[in-house]
Amino acid sequence: MSASLPHRSVANIRGAAPTSSSRSGSSHRERESSSHRDRGDRDRERGDRDHSGTSTPARPIPTFNTPSSLRAEEELIVVDFGTRKIQVGFAGDSAPRGIVWFGPEQQRRIGDFRDWQTDYHQDWRSKAAGGNWGRDYELWRPDVRGLELGQVGDKVEKAVREAYTKYMLIDSRPRRMVCVVPTGLPIPLLSAALDSLFHRFQPPTVSLLSSPVAVAVAAGVRSALVVDLGWNETIVTSVYEYREVATKRTVRGGRRLTEETHRFLAKELGHVQRDSRDDKQEYVLSFEECHDIANRLVWCKPFKAEKTPKSSPPQPASPEGEGLATVEESDEDKPTITITTTTTTTAGEKPLPLPPKVTIIPLRSGRSPTSVEVTFDQLSEPCENTFFDSQYSLSSFDDHELPVHLLVYRALLQLPLDVRALCMSRIIFTGGGTTVLGLRKRIFDEVCHIVQERGWDPVYGKAKEQLRTNPKLKKRHGRQTTNNSNSSSNNNNSNNTLTTPGGVSPPTAAGGAAGEGGTAAPVSGQEEDGIWHDAANSVPEVDPIEAQLARTNPASNGRKPLQGQLRAIESLGPWAGGSLITHLKVSTVSTIDKDQWTQHGVTGATVRQADVEAKTQQRLSWNAMNRGGREGKEPWTLGVWGAA
Amino acid sequence: MFGNNRLPAFHPGLTQSRIRDTTTGSGLWFPGLRSPPLPSESDPANDQLPLPITPEDLYDTPMAPFNPYTYIRCPCSELNPYTKRTPDVTAQGLSRAAQDDDDHTFDPRAARSNYSLYPLEYLSFCEDCHQIRCPRCVAEEIVCYYCPNCLFEVPSSNIRSEGSRCTRSCFQCPICIGPLAVNHVETPPDPNQLLSPDHASSSHSGSYVLSCSYCNWSSTEIGIKFDKPNSIHMQLAKLRNGGETRLTAKERKERRKEQASQGGGGGSSTGQGEEDLDTLLDMETQFANLKSFYQNQLSDANGTGKVGGDPSAALGNLGFDAPASLSRIMSLYTGSSSLHDKKSKSRPGTMREALAPSEGLQLASLDESSAITALQDFESTTGLDAYSSTASTTQLQSQAPYLGASPLHGLTRFTSSLRPIPYLLRTKRSKRCPQCRHIISKPESKVTTTRFRIRLIAGNYIPTITIKQLIIPGLTPPPMPNLPPDTIEPLKPAQFVLTFKNPIFESVRVTLATPATTPGRFPAKVTILCPQFEIDSNTDVWEEALKDNNATSSSSQAQNLSSSTGPEGSGPGGRKRAGTLRPGTAGGASLAGEELGPEVGKVWERGRNWTSIVIEVIPASLVQTAKRDGRGPIKEDEDVLEIPMFVRIEWEAEAPEDEIMPGLSSTKGGNKDGGKEKRELAYWCVLGLGRVARTL
Repeated sequence: MSASLPHRSVANIRGAAPTSSSRSGSSHRERESSSHRDRGDRDRERGDRDHSGTSTPARPIPTFNTPSSLRAEEELIVVDFGTRKIQVGFAGDSAPRGIVWFGPEQQRRIGDFRDWQTDYHQDWRSKAAGGNWGRDYELWRPDVRGLELGQVGDKVEKAVREAYTKYMLIDSRPRRMVCVVPTGLPIPLLSAALDSLFHRFQPPTVSLLSSPVAVAVAAGVRSALVVDLGWNETIVTSVYEYREVATKRTVRGGRRLTEETHRFLAKELGHVQRDSRDDKQEYVLSFEECHDIANRLVWCKPFKAEKTPKSSPPQPASPEGEGLATVEESDEDKPTITITTTTTTTAGEKPLPLPPKVTIIPLRSGRSPTSVEVTFDQLSEPCENTFFDSQYSLSSFDDHELPVHLLVYRALLQLPLDVRALCMSRIIFTGGGTTVLGLRKRIFDEVCHIVQERGWDPVYGKAKEQLRTNPKLKKRHGRQTTNNSNSSSNNNNSNNTLTTPGGVSPPTAAGGAAGEGGTAAPVSGQEEDGIWHDAANSVPEVDPIEAQLARTNPASNGRKPLQGQLRAIESLGPWAGGSLITHLKVSTVSTIDKDQWTQHGVTGATVRQADVEAKTQQRLSWNAMNRGGREGKEPWTLGVWGAA
Repeated sequence: MFGNNRLPAFHPGLTQSRIRDTTTGSGLWFPGLRSPPLPSESDPANDQLPLPITPEDLYDTPMAPFNPYTYIRCPCSELNPYTKRTPDVTAQGLSRAAQDDDDHTFDPRAARSNYSLYPLEYLSFCEDCHQIRCPRCVAEEIVCYYCPNCLFEVPSSNIRSEGSRCTRSCFQCPICIGPLAVNHVETPPDPNQLLSPDHASSSHSGSYVLSCSYCNWSSTEIGIKFDKPNSIHMQLAKLRNGGETRLTAKERKERRKEQASQGGGGGSSTGQGEEDLDTLLDMETQFANLKSFYQNQLSDANGTGKVGGDPSAALGNLGFDAPASLSRIMSLYTGSSSLHDKKSKSRPGTMREALAPSEGLQLASLDESSAITALQDFESTTGLDAYSSTASTTQLQSQAPYLGASPLHGLTRFTSSLRPIPYLLRTKRSKRCPQCRHIISKPESKVTTTRFRIRLIAGNYIPTITIKQLIIPGLTPPPMPNLPPDTIEPLKPAQFVLTFKNPIFESVRVTLATPATTPGRFPAKVTILCPQFEIDSNTDVWEEALKDNNATSSSSQAQNLSSSTGPEGSGPGGRKRAGTLRPGTAGGASLAGEELGPEVGKVWERGRNWTSIVIEVIPASLVQTAKRDGRGPIKEDEDVLEIPMFVRIEWEAEAPEDEIMPGLSSTKGGNKDGGKEKRELAYWCVLGLGRVARTL
């Protein structure tokens, strides 16, 4: 029943023919289960497709057709899944043909046109009840509890169909698809989306690409630190040689920004909002309106250099005396608050010239239409609260809600030295949050600032500072710390590190050192996995790729890739990356065959850990993206997305 | 008529006004007057907004008048792939899962059902499979592409190369999406130009603009004028907002070639790369640069750093040095697909990263302070409101991707950066049944005709259902006085007449089933008084008319419910009200019988090709239930009484003797009996009966 079959077109016939050899294996497998009627149908259908493959194609091809027009027949479709929208287009294009946003209108029944009635206004209040404010505008949430997966599939289907018919103008002939998917996507969601694609669009294969890698490719680099200011969360992914090596995330993202905008506007309207960010919050304005205002007017203040002296004595990280010290610390940070948030009152005294600039925001979704007058300084408040929360001390955040700049810093910090050196000069901002004016620069500057202050040292705080400034303390203290933290076997090693002059070197030095790949003066040691890695006594490794590059491209020898300094570069985004990768005919790790999916679903995927390990060497090359060098069709994998 | 009850009168103006509403909040708005007229109370202090919202507040939201409706659920959604797959899925397991699905009654309120419900008008019918086909389960083929504005047909080859938008002069207003017209503007003659009359016509500032007749927007607001009144699309592609020209991809390529030849053969981008590291690439150029860079790298890596065993090595000097091009050519002959071409793909060698803008590397210019100051100073410089200087989300979303924009960030924020939207092309599509490949619908290929060559719409095959509340003056208790009009009173039985109209030429037996209480949050008790009945065939209208002439002329009276027709056996075409046909109350005493109301197991009324039955519902009290279950206020449309109903129709049809497709229609009986065969069709549908009052 479900089967479907495909238009008999040239492309299909051609596509079907070569796989016939590999099918002899698969059809055998199918025969086992051919008791099922569907499968029988499909086999029969396939039988006659094969048959027609050997004979003249059904559709006449004009003889003057150039190869390029033949190729056009098998157009690949690249789908980039986001939380709020999907982007769909043809591989090889520079921009997606269509961007479909998710929204409540899509979830209406077909033929329900109430949205177009002039007097219709959506009853957003009842929909917002129970933490559902804005939920209709999302495809999914990472929390899949209580989520109807089938509905996710339906949403995907509807959006892809809209893109097909409205923007791409293609028929329903099956086409190969390439999905650019965020790496952290839970398997049930991925499975629901794939189910829907396979069931409704019948692609022969669907390949999965990870979006950070695609972003890196669309920027033209092999390693990058991808800062995805997404909707649900901000994800910082380090990509090294086309391979994700580390990921950090925080809940500070687009949705939080919209919620903060709502809180801000509600406050302006005179609502006393409880300070809780839980689901019980009452909403006085609709999601749509808040989102609109967040998009239009909310901006981000530039980084204030005056903060530098203030926070230079960082918080103590030593285990003793944390209570009092932390409190003091936050007090010390208080002045920052007054600068950033309480601008309402102090706007006049600020260095800002002249009276504060004001705009009037009309609000229509409240109880009655009204408008508020706010200064521009105030309008930066939601952004401040969402991404930085600078009124709190940096040590007061939970792991899941780190401010973005701290997250970026930590992501860089935890990277191995060489990787960090490459990644820090290839910071890519992507995602919807990048549209907030000035946000990228602010994050970048804040990170620069932290680096300047602390260097690449996970240990910071007052004790550290004392240690640095007071050379007398060093010997004693060093030993103490070692005794505390390390086994005595490492004693020599760590001692060595801590007594090295300039252990906390200014960032430029650190970066430069990093840049030379550890051959220069040692930087501070880092503790990872309980072992001290120290650049000083490590032998510089030969980078096989660089070596090979030097051999193959003597021309580019003189230009070593820039590393060791913070730099931001621009990317065309995940969709364009997917389009490039596909256009260059790089095959992906995870290419899912339709038959295999219909048979096993997500449970058929295997994690071939052994394969992955064995290929580590290969992965470090361009091959990394083409990790799927597997033979035969039998085992297939979802790659980084894991397995059920 | 039935089905399109929810469609309001639809006219093109509605589209505009709606967009306008969502963007600016006022129906009329002129660009000169930037801020939309607002309600006067702009002082938040006077505004007593901060009231806690209680569920009761929501009850008095104004309701549009309700029209009963019917939605049909396409059976294709039952074949869902989301059956719980166990690692070893056997055929048995699948069928068991299918059975589980069958037991499950359909819940129209479930999150997913909105996606599978269609009004009858949207459904097609495959004559060979005897199945309903919805837009989700047909295979589509494109007949032609055309622009909805100029109605010119676009050849399909252009779609791939030039995109899916009209490349002539058809544009939509970026503010209100109304159609834009090309207008001539009288420019005051420039004295400089007068001096050189030769160049007057080709001066840079053209004299044609695009303007919107609806909101008075014109392309001068974004600083764009055109030289020629035609092929605006091409001219616009070369212009940035503000009138600055931009090179198209082709021109850029040519220019690069020139540079390369001037620069003396080498043309390697490495030399000049460093200098223009700051140049801003627009998206199109960056993509093109990246693409050529990667292609070069891939071919370099394979061409030089090869160990051997690569078939492309031998062909290297034949111009096939790029593995991509080689594999493409190979695939032409071997037929292997590009994505899985493992044989011909040698291990690609290493490649370096892009180092210069000419290779696609683009340093980010993080400094957006100019945009920030522009936003802040907007009012002081122009005297207009800063809020309305920014484009709304809707406006941004309806923008076409503009490849000439330098990347992305924060740029399309002001209305001054919006660009006219070229019309999206549309298609005429023919539809096929995905199983038997028969054509279901095929439009005429000419753009301007709206005729169809083939169109098998479901309304011609399955009975239509119309709903009407049954109010018998004597029997139905008068509604509560404070009840809003058009609502159903909760906790009291209400009766509805369902009229089934048979479109086919055979008489049809209908079996209805419905859950005793509707699923969902507010369960209503439902009773179908007559779940099994027949509808007579859709015979010729004249036949009936003639028959009616033979009988008395009372049939016209029978149409209104106040009277009934003659005796029961008045012929197949005549109307009869079964419920009123009681012994002793035939003929003139019908009024007395009337008051007895509908009876269980009896058809309410029947006509030539229609039969009506009565369904009785007792809706739950919304307010009490909502209070009790604590699931928050009543959501939108939760007060609509919707009843899932399973409809099964059976009929006997002439067997198509010449074209029997084996295995397609499982319902075929034996092919004897004078070429008759039994057919059946079953589907779920949803009846929207009315709004339940939120009083109790």
